[in-house]
Amino acid sequence: MSADKEETGSRRARNAQRPAPSVNMEELRELIGLLRENGLAELELENEGFRVRLRRESAASEPASHGAAPPPAPAPAAHAPAPTPAHPGTHLGTQATTAAAQDQDLHIIPSPIVGTFYRSPSPTADPFVKIGSNVGPESVVCIIEAMKLMNEIQAEATGEVVKIYVENGQPVEYGQPLFGIRS
Amino acid sequence: MAFNPRKFKKILIANRGEIACRIIWTCKEMGIKTVAVHSDVDRDSLHVRFADEAACIGPAPSAQSYLNIPAIISTAEIFNVDAIHPGYGFLAESAYFAEICDACNIKFIGPPARVIRLMGDKIEARRVMHEAGLPIVPGSPDAVTSEEEGIKLAREIGYPVIVKASAGGGGRGMRIVRSEQELGKALETASTEAAAAFNDGSVYIEKYIERPRHIEIQVLADEFGECIHLGERECSIQRRHQKLMEEAPSTVLTPEMRKTMGDAAVAACKKLGYSSAGTCEFLLDVNGNFYFMEMNTRIQVEHPVTEMVTLADIVRNQIRIAEGEPLGYTQDDLLIVGHAIECRINAENPETFAPSPGTITAFNLPGGPGVRVDTFVYSGYQVTPFYDSMIAKVIVHARTRELAIARMKRALEAMVIEGIKTTVPLHLKIMDDPRFRAGDIGTDFMEYFLAKNGKKAAAQ
Repeated sequence: MSADKEETGSRRARNAQRPAPSVNMEELRELIGLLRENGLAELELENEGFRVRLRRESAASEPASHGAAPPPAPAPAAHAPAPTPAHPGTHLGTQATTAAAQDQDLHIIPSPIVGTFYRSPSPTADPFVKIGSNVGPESVVCIIEAMKLMNEIQAEATGEVVKIYVENGQPVEYGQPLFGIRS
Repeated sequence: MAFNPRKFKKILIANRGEIACRIIWTCKEMGIKTVAVHSDVDRDSLHVRFADEAACIGPAPSAQSYLNIPAIISTAEIFNVDAIHPGYGFLAESAYFAEICDACNIKFIGPPARVIRLMGDKIEARRVMHEAGLPIVPGSPDAVTSEEEGIKLAREIGYPVIVKASAGGGGRGMRIVRSEQELGKALETASTEAAAAFNDGSVYIEKYIERPRHIEIQVLADEFGECIHLGERECSIQRRHQKLMEEAPSTVLTPEMRKTMGDAAVAACKKLGYSSAGTCEFLLDVNGNFYFMEMNTRIQVEHPVTEMVTLADIVRNQIRIAEGEPLGYTQDDLLIVGHAIECRINAENPETFAPSPGTITAFNLPGGPGVRVDTFVYSGYQVTPFYDSMIAKVIVHARTRELAIARMKRALEAMVIEGIKTTVPLHLKIMDDPRFRAGDIGTDFMEYFLAKNGKKAAAQ
């Protein structure tokens, strides 16, 4: 999963500043800022036996390095603020949902079930659709695997695929945006 | 990350609401990671917030989310959990779900599927538990198939009788019958109600006990045949067979009666091959006779009153037992200290009991000595109309019942919930009722209480 790769990248950076070989929090923040301000998708920096790579899912989404943000302090239950985006653990789908929220002009194909997302019918086959593919209501766009069953997902819309919000092999939840279609 | 030597590293909680939070709290104390599942309208629920991982498994209707077995198992596989805790309601008493968990190599935290299935059939359960030594209310051993059969049986038992759904629960498919003329119609309506609610129209007849108390015995059993009881809970304060308030210990049970009822429940559970936490529900008549009604093969809403007076953590024991640990306690270790009361706070009009969904605009939890609140809501939370109306449980513990009542009163007075209507005012009134204060309660208490308060309102 490439989501793992991103995490590894940021985690490595985070671990690196504890015994601190050659990067500090300030520098990291600067790097993340650079990434965000310039709308870059990926940034890699190498320096004297130390390397950091930062990647973003899409220009619109949150920085990929969720590890860098301090987890919200656990508030007492009674006074907990509305918890929507600040889930301290892993919540399937948060990233794709945030990304898709920016694309209000697109028709979003959501996942109808919780499971694992596959872009092609087998590991060696071509993906069902790519950016730029034209789809009709019955076009199969992906497979969601749940309990060892491969469920083919249809577009249920007509248009051009312009966004793919999840990576091949990534787990997805119910309602999570998968594709953005421009009709 | 602390080293966790436990067998279970991660548990999925197949539930929502306060019980999902309750299970998460114990998992945190045990160093076990948790996975929350939720419907799309429950995204802002506290169980989602406090679990280590979470996934949305379907839309609001329970059948497509909290009862959606493929979605739950699929999530369990994605997050690679060791076990599933079903909480209460939803899939907690689904033998089918327990079997699927077994087939998928995920430990179901509860008794074996065989036992769940047996106790789920109320007629079979009574027959089996009667054979295992528990007294039962005189009645038909099997479903009543015709009016003639019903009339003959009711004459043998003697009126009043009660008609009940075989697959029943929650008061649906029940009718009290005081004379032969009423019986035919009662059988018919109960059967229709049962068919609608449980997809099974079979009903049975038994002796109706006037003014009984609802007393239940909490049991804990391991997978090696050891079983103990944790004393009783008094659950007589009910409206339409739904419990409103529970307490432990009961004001009428002597230590001898506690031992008799507890030992009987333990012996029956041992014969049944029971494991995990469970509850045997009994009716207790005014002469001290007790009759087995049914067994709940899961954690119960009212489990905290037992936890308060015994210092046991029932969820922790469920998890330990599911991990294959021996019980580690004997009956002699049971300790009952002081008195505990639980009030169920529902999002309902306290007078009409109409559901009151909406956004909670202000929320203050009571605290101080001896007060526990189990909840999943907070200020700003939107109470949806899709699920059970219970939003919180207030539990108090004190040395005596009198002190516990005083403590509950001041706790309820400090409980501020604005934006929706709740049953807090109802519980406050019950705390002041002379019959309640005297411990003079039975399953008819709410009927008396509501009639009395209705009259008062009319007189004013």
